[in-house]
Amino acid sequence: MILPRFEYKKARTIEEALELYSRYNGEAFYLAGGTDLIPLLKLRLFNPRAVIDIKGIQGLRAISKKAGSLIVGPNVTLYELKDNLEVRGYLPCLSESLDATSCETLQMRGTIGGNILQNTRCLQYNKSLEWRTARGFCYKMGGETCNVVPGVRSCLSNYCGDNAPALMTVDAKVRLVGPEGERTVKIEKLFSGDGKIPFNVKKGEFITEIIIPLKKTDGAYEKLTVRGSIDYPLVGVAVTAKDDYARIAVTGIGPSPRLYELKKINVKAINDIADKAYEDARPVLNAVLTPAYRKKMVRVLIKKACNRLGLGGSK
Amino acid sequence: MKTVRVTLEVNNEKIRLEVKPYETLLETLRERLSLTGAKEACSLGSCGACTILLNGTPVRSCLILTPEVDGASITTIEGLQKGDKLHPLQEAFMEKGAVQCGFCTSGMIITAKGLLDRNSKPDKKAIIKTMSSNICRCTGYKKIVEAVEEASRRPE
Amino acid sequence: MDDNLKIVGKRVVRSDSYAKVTGGALYTADLKLAGMLYAKVLRSPYPHARILKIDVSGALRVPGVKAAISGFDAYGVKWGVFRYTQDHAMLPTDKVRYIGEDVAAVAAVDEEAAIEALSYIKVEYEPLDAVFDPVESMKDGAPQIHEQYKNNINIHVHIDVGEVDKAMAKAYLVREDTFKAAGEAYAMMEPYAVVASYANGYLDLWMPNAGPHVRAKALSNLLKLPLNRVRVRHINSGGAFGGRSEVAPGDLVASLLSIKSGRPVKLVLTREENATSSRQVHDITATVKTGMKKDGTIVAKDYRVIYDGGAYSSTGPIATSIPFYVYEECYRFPNVRYNGYRVFTNKGIRGMYGCHGRAFLAGNESQMDIMARELGLDPVDVRLKNGLTAGEITATKSKISSCGLKEAIIEASEKTNLRKRWKKREKNRGIGMGCVAIMCGFPMGFRSGSSCYVKINDDGQATLVTGLVDNGQGNESMIIQVASEVLGLPMGDINLVNADTEVTNLDPGAYSQAAAYVGANAVKAACDNARKRIIAIASEKLGVPETEIDLKDRVAYSVGQPDKRMPISWIAREAFFRGEPIVATGSFFPDIDFEREWVTRPWGQMAGTFSFGASVAEVEVDYETGKIKVPRFTAAHDCGRPINPMAVEGQMEGSIQQAGIATITEGNMWHRGFLLNPDLLEYKIPLACDMPEIETIIVSSYDPKGPFGAKEGGLTVRMNAYSAIACAFTNATGILFEELPLTPDKVLSLLEKNKGVR
Repeated sequence: MILPRFEYKKARTIEEALELYSRYNGEAFYLAGGTDLIPLLKLRLFNPRAVIDIKGIQGLRAISKKAGSLIVGPNVTLYELKDNLEVRGYLPCLSESLDATSCETLQMRGTIGGNILQNTRCLQYNKSLEWRTARGFCYKMGGETCNVVPGVRSCLSNYCGDNAPALMTVDAKVRLVGPEGERTVKIEKLFSGDGKIPFNVKKGEFITEIIIPLKKTDGAYEKLTVRGSIDYPLVGVAVTAKDDYARIAVTGIGPSPRLYELKKINVKAINDIADKAYEDARPVLNAVLTPAYRKKMVRVLIKKACNRLGLGGSK
Repeated sequence: MKTVRVTLEVNNEKIRLEVKPYETLLETLRERLSLTGAKEACSLGSCGACTILLNGTPVRSCLILTPEVDGASITTIEGLQKGDKLHPLQEAFMEKGAVQCGFCTSGMIITAKGLLDRNSKPDKKAIIKTMSSNICRCTGYKKIVEAVEEASRRPE
Repeated sequence: MDDNLKIVGKRVVRSDSYAKVTGGALYTADLKLAGMLYAKVLRSPYPHARILKIDVSGALRVPGVKAAISGFDAYGVKWGVFRYTQDHAMLPTDKVRYIGEDVAAVAAVDEEAAIEALSYIKVEYEPLDAVFDPVESMKDGAPQIHEQYKNNINIHVHIDVGEVDKAMAKAYLVREDTFKAAGEAYAMMEPYAVVASYANGYLDLWMPNAGPHVRAKALSNLLKLPLNRVRVRHINSGGAFGGRSEVAPGDLVASLLSIKSGRPVKLVLTREENATSSRQVHDITATVKTGMKKDGTIVAKDYRVIYDGGAYSSTGPIATSIPFYVYEECYRFPNVRYNGYRVFTNKGIRGMYGCHGRAFLAGNESQMDIMARELGLDPVDVRLKNGLTAGEITATKSKISSCGLKEAIIEASEKTNLRKRWKKREKNRGIGMGCVAIMCGFPMGFRSGSSCYVKINDDGQATLVTGLVDNGQGNESMIIQVASEVLGLPMGDINLVNADTEVTNLDPGAYSQAAAYVGANAVKAACDNARKRIIAIASEKLGVPETEIDLKDRVAYSVGQPDKRMPISWIAREAFFRGEPIVATGSFFPDIDFEREWVTRPWGQMAGTFSFGASVAEVEVDYETGKIKVPRFTAAHDCGRPINPMAVEGQMEGSIQQAGIATITEGNMWHRGFLLNPDLLEYKIPLACDMPEIETIIVSSYDPKGPFGAKEGGLTVRMNAYSAIACAFTNATGILFEELPLTPDKVLSLLEKNKGVR
């Protein structure tokens, strides 16, 4: 399958990247690992004039410590990050989510920045141009309504990143650089909840840092898949706990991961959150297992993760 | 559209090419360099049949644009043997019956090489984990795992 | 078994491995011919529509485009595997019948120009109502997909043996259940590709296929070219599993483009096109009614099976029949009725499959276990009681010669402690067995036999020439191994020219499980004849009777006086001197009933022999998530005698993925006529981490007619692995599956529906 035509530009600095972006009038994509972008381009879901390779920008592939936080460059591969001593020692939830992401060789190429900003997915979206033309373009592609639930004028695609939910549970922030300057936001603020435009990322912005407070935590990531490798999560639940506080994030159902707080850890609180997360989950038939089942599994996986950590005395 | 000039070291040979900016490494290897060992089985990065070593790291070449890897060192299946001497993985795959239709084989061997280069004595669990990056439709994977185990017992 | 065999029966490195591990093995998409063009196909966006007009002229105006065609450039021939199923024009001119059907195509200097050119082809359609469910499709008033098949019933196989209703009425225990399964994808790793090169009046083709001769014949018909002008050449094949048996629209497309442009044309399908537009596997709904005596003897079976065939016949009669036959060749059915219906729907074309029939077979086996339990029997008891033995005749009159079913059942059950564990019913764990038989070949008219030509070259090396095909299972290596045994030459001294219609003679092809029994038998016969000639000269030269001479390690020698020896190369040269080079032919035609016909006369000897197998699966069911884990799988297969045990194991192990773990992961998903998972991410092929611990057991029943006693090498596992898993699931939960694949969502539904069942 060949790619559509586009130009390739390599940015050596952040400024150059931004300059290139504006030169192409925003009809460009930043390219890091390419494991999300290249398939989208092959399927002709997007038709940029150029791709701007940001892997060459100095400093974006580093991991460092500063003021009690781990500073992770967006170009750090998932495999590299997984191996990092601080991640392994302090952030077990993230450790598990990194290990659970796709498969080893894709982890060696995919970057954490790209993994966070991956496009949302749907069985009727991630298809060739020919397939989608025959089907009729859906809402996410610029059509009238959703193809999975006809009549609905919004996008119900799924955000299937494994690591964003984990990062949400460890209070991570993200630093973005764009034509209008820099800003730092909590990672959960990146998600718009709109499947058509899933990220609150301004045109031309890209991630330059992921900032994770280094507190020793307990954590777990439960991932529901059909196979034991390669698959995206049909449901993913990240849990991080410290002292009498925990955070739970659910991914894989709907356009953005959802974050919940347990201000006090006990069995009732866990059950209440599990019930709330179940209520909030509105899956549709856009993945390979039934919506009713995936909805049920939200509760099951939350309890499973909490049990694994012995939260609320359960085990 | 203007081509992009790249210099690659492919199987220890320095090569200079003019490529399309939107050309994948897999295309370059197969169409320009006639290195057809890496296969296109799915085009979207789901199967690993296109796996090659990029600066020693096993990656799916169908997801890489050739201009991205200007200056890099690429190893394909054709570059594993040293003259007539096969790499222990190639020998072991043959001896253990790990090759049936052969379409996934080059990707499997390269993925395994990536593993043995990082971890020369992997246990079975580690082998299975790594090899779960690649799809095979013929073998059921058992003999592939055995071949990697066998290769790890042989000096390179 | 008497064994003075030198190489047959040994684990050998396959002859094709070297090229494959070095990247040197060529597959169709790897081919480059001078002046070669790249083709792209324009496909139907409608599941059912009349074609009003096709105008390809716009495509020809795109720079770099050298030819553009549609069905109107073909010769109006409709092809069918059988004379009564000739419904496939390959490139239709009347209607399109499934989304993804080939409608027009272009050939250009590169892929980009070809893709651009497609966008200039104008097709006018008149959409028609479409039907996607086979039951709906059979109803009066449903859209007619083909003129000649009323109610869209493509094939009806009706078999009626004995007095089913009477026997059922008298049975002690009767049970009827309905089982469904989603059709699978072959998902062979090589996407379909064709290279066609028309030059000087000859059309040469390369494509992954399971039988080059039937391909050439079909194209000869479709193109109205004499058969000797159409040559299908040898090329490596990246897996077939039954999905590359017949001529494909792509073959016609590439041929027409090459003829029109005068240049070689390469067409490579994307993975999506391979899934939507080559072949798929039938969805099946099977209603199984069984009557048993109190002691577990099956007295009657009554079957109604519906096969969703998609838009064209393909191997219709065969697909409609095989699941029944592999079962009736395994068990004794004194009274049996089978009504199999293959029904058209507006979906992709369904063909035969190595793992075909999972709803029917897994349904039968798991129902049998539930009935057995009710009668106080276990899976081994009931299978030994009803399993066929050597010398018996099946319900449709096939005689069983060699039969290792009993051994397979006993060995597999003992290795796994099946009886005890099945009875014990550990919490959340189950164990189960599935059995089946496989016909080694089936009637294919004059094409049912194989023949081989062997020549000994002047250096004492040999060349084998045979029509036999290898799709990755190791057929090429197997016959070299057989030749090596007979000729006393190392495998490396034996070259092979195979699967080339110009050079090699007919062979049944790799889709009827006949490579060992028929193909290798022909090779053995040819080599036996060459061996006789070699020994005759050696006898003369050494002054030793022929009966005392053996061939080994390139040498002919006297067994009694081993220092009386001469190299085979000398013998070859002596033969050349005499003007009688050592060349020999040999053929094998199986003893089958050629009056047998799938629809009109469904009885008579099906094949020369049958293989048998028993698989045992162990499962763990997670009641919270519905996930099934398969920690262990044990498979026993009677292949007569394994020619290369490593290759037989490989087949069995691969089957455990494709038919075993696939039971819990694989199935095509549809939204009306749209295939939702035509890719290798959402179509869940099991990975290494999903596989169980595997033990394979090879049973040798030494077939009297097979080459060195050999029969087919491993297909029973492809047709009983899902039964083992289904039976294990039933053992664990007390529930019969309703629909495969048993993905976690389905399992959870079943568990909830059947709360309290145990």
